[in-house]
Amino acid sequence: MEAPPVTVMPVTGGTINMMEYLLQGSVLDQALESLLHRLRGLCDNMEPETFTDHELVYLLKGQQGNPFILRARRSLSHPTAPWHLRYLGQSEVGDKSRHALVRNCVDVAATHSLPEFLNEMGFRMDHEFVSNGHIFRKGAMKIVVSKLSRILVPGNTENTEHLSLSYLVELSVLAPAGQDTVSEDMRSFAEQLKPLVHLEKIDPSKQRH
Amino acid sequence: MSGGPAVRISIESSCEKQVQEVALDGTETYVPPLSMSQNLAKLAQRIDFSQGSDSEEDVEGEPKDREWGKQDGEEEEGTVKFQPSLWPWDSVRNNLRSALTEMCVLYDVLSVVKEKKYMALDPVSQDPAAGKTPQVFQLISKKKSLATAAMILQKGAEKLSKSVTENQENRRQRDFNSELLRLRSQWKLRKVGDKILGDLSYRSAGSLFPHHGTFEVIKNTDIDLDKKIPEDYCPLDVQIPSDLEGSAYIKVSIQKQAPDIGDLGTVSLFRQQQKNKAGTQQWHVKLEAAQNVLLCKEIFAQLSREAVQIKSQIPHIVVKNQIISQPFPGLQLSISLCHSTGEKKNNRASPEKPKPDDHLYVLEHNLHQMMREFHKQQLSSVVIPHPSSAPFAHKRLRLAGPLAYDKAEISSWQQTEGLLEKMIKQAKHIFLRRRSIQLQLNIGVEQIRVVHRDGRVVTLSHQEQELQDFLLSQMSQHQVHAVQQLAKVMGWHVLSFSNHVGLGPVESIGNASAVTVASPNGEYAISVRNGPESGCKVLVQFPRSQIKELPKSDVIQDAKWSHLRGPYKEVHWSKMEGRNFVYKMELLMAALTPCP
Repeated sequence: MEAPPVTVMPVTGGTINMMEYLLQGSVLDQALESLLHRLRGLCDNMEPETFTDHELVYLLKGQQGNPFILRARRSLSHPTAPWHLRYLGQSEVGDKSRHALVRNCVDVAATHSLPEFLNEMGFRMDHEFVSNGHIFRKGAMKIVVSKLSRILVPGNTENTEHLSLSYLVELSVLAPAGQDTVSEDMRSFAEQLKPLVHLEKIDPSKQRH
Repeated sequence: MSGGPAVRISIESSCEKQVQEVALDGTETYVPPLSMSQNLAKLAQRIDFSQGSDSEEDVEGEPKDREWGKQDGEEEEGTVKFQPSLWPWDSVRNNLRSALTEMCVLYDVLSVVKEKKYMALDPVSQDPAAGKTPQVFQLISKKKSLATAAMILQKGAEKLSKSVTENQENRRQRDFNSELLRLRSQWKLRKVGDKILGDLSYRSAGSLFPHHGTFEVIKNTDIDLDKKIPEDYCPLDVQIPSDLEGSAYIKVSIQKQAPDIGDLGTVSLFRQQQKNKAGTQQWHVKLEAAQNVLLCKEIFAQLSREAVQIKSQIPHIVVKNQIISQPFPGLQLSISLCHSTGEKKNNRASPEKPKPDDHLYVLEHNLHQMMREFHKQQLSSVVIPHPSSAPFAHKRLRLAGPLAYDKAEISSWQQTEGLLEKMIKQAKHIFLRRRSIQLQLNIGVEQIRVVHRDGRVVTLSHQEQELQDFLLSQMSQHQVHAVQQLAKVMGWHVLSFSNHVGLGPVESIGNASAVTVASPNGEYAISVRNGPESGCKVLVQFPRSQIKELPKSDVIQDAKWSHLRGPYKEVHWSKMEGRNFVYKMELLMAALTPCP
């Protein structure tokens, strides 16, 4: 019995086994300034970066129940930067004492022909939105404070309307599987942001519309 | 009773109803006025039935009659009189009447006095004894009031002086909280539970060294308040991690000879500790020293990691706290981490005194700078992803996928040179510079002083043209000197040498120099004239026997004279083979030396 050809072997290692640790919270518009001030002091000493991104969420409906979701995101403030394609797996349940939401994450950079490619593959765009805000960094942790806006006319990113009067705050770390000290660091950092914002793990599977 | 005109008086009774209670919202509840029967009962109770009346009519029969419940004011012919009081308004009426009487009298007196005929006004003489208060009494009262005022002022003054002394005490004792505030203005602190922790690592400045760098702030309570507080007492103390205690520095030195194998890894020289600046706190000194130790550890860790990983021709040796590498054969570069805990001086390495000239401060400073540069790069905004959901990575690396870079392209822009390689390059440069330098430039504030290797000192002004001219003239002289040295090596004889020749075209910058050297067998001679402006001119003198069109002379008959050197021929120096002047000259000399 010969070994199966290499292409059939499961892919292990590299970027496939990266896990994303996530904590989320939100602040009202009035509290944004004080939150930014606090983050500026706690995070690494860099010039604060603002961003404007446009995200499209693609679904591939198979015969089974759950559709396969891929997220394609591009930067509107840096039009020449490559697109970013992201797959987020199911959140890992089991360890209740783990402080952050853990899920498998695959990140790939792509050229500007990504939407056509996905359409050809059979994905259909489910929804899109524009997100703008600030990014902070502390070591391996990324803190994103963003405001989401709905796109009124599909394809037109100029004409947007804010979804809410608040900002979404996300604390995330990308790390290989099995490193549990990461969630400890995230929790202690989240403690320092209280009571401005309460970051906690919010399981997306528990929220169904 | 008075005979004057009747005076109308209006009488108004006060609030008829009495307030029984006031509710919480302000409304008043009045006592309800007595009803007829209640009034009657009240009045009946006032009758003293035990006392008989003097009236003619029978009293007992009448109380049953309720008719005198109705008040009849003017009823003087009433059958029964109230005992003991008269009708209620009687006292009022009497008072009013007496007041009216008095007013009328006063009015009458004033009108009579106005006439001045029958009555006159006379001032009343003051009785001095009766009206005045006694002096003693006045004195005593004044004294008392002054005493009260003085007491108040004194109390205030006492309070003020007490608070001033308290402030001074506090400042001298350096309150823990104010000291903590000072600490917080320079170092990162955070509160964990009931402990105050701080961070002295470079992680927030971009370092990736895994040391936690946490220190703890503790209150200094072992102070005896009875004794005098020492000058450098500080109520705040910091506890640094045990592996960062003491002080450290990185010793970089270049040696010519290779050391013994047994001496490796034993470098632990102690450098003189600097005196603390007046006014700095103990905790500041401690924290700065610990931070320096941490940085030195990080630098050494990075260097040793590179020394092990990088493949080079001569492998680097990493022994304990020393890294040894060989930039040139026979030359040794040694980088060592010297960490002294300050408790005991570690003298087992070398019993002799440490040579301060051995250590290259420039390279140590460069190491620190390069490490900080590396930190800064970690924090550069090139790493921030756009779009924001992408992971942290260099901007170019993210483009590598979409633009299909191959390995050669990626490695071309990726910085592969590590800390160690840079260090080695710098050491090589220092070594070469040391060997080849003849001049030493001392650049001052107003002027530049040039010290030549042979002791001459030239002072130049601030104009850069002067320095340029000087260097050009030095260059031309150097070339001529090089010919001189080369002649010694090749066995040629120096016939003449002059730094400043007086012949030939006048140079605008400096002077031309010239040298003439003769071949070992005397047949050929090379003359070199080198000027800063005119450049290099090389002439070769051939023996007479090699010249074809030699003029025949009657005087010189003998054949031996043909061995002498004759006319000169110029060499096309630019077409000469050789990389530089010295090579060319060497080739020329070699060509003119015939093989034996």
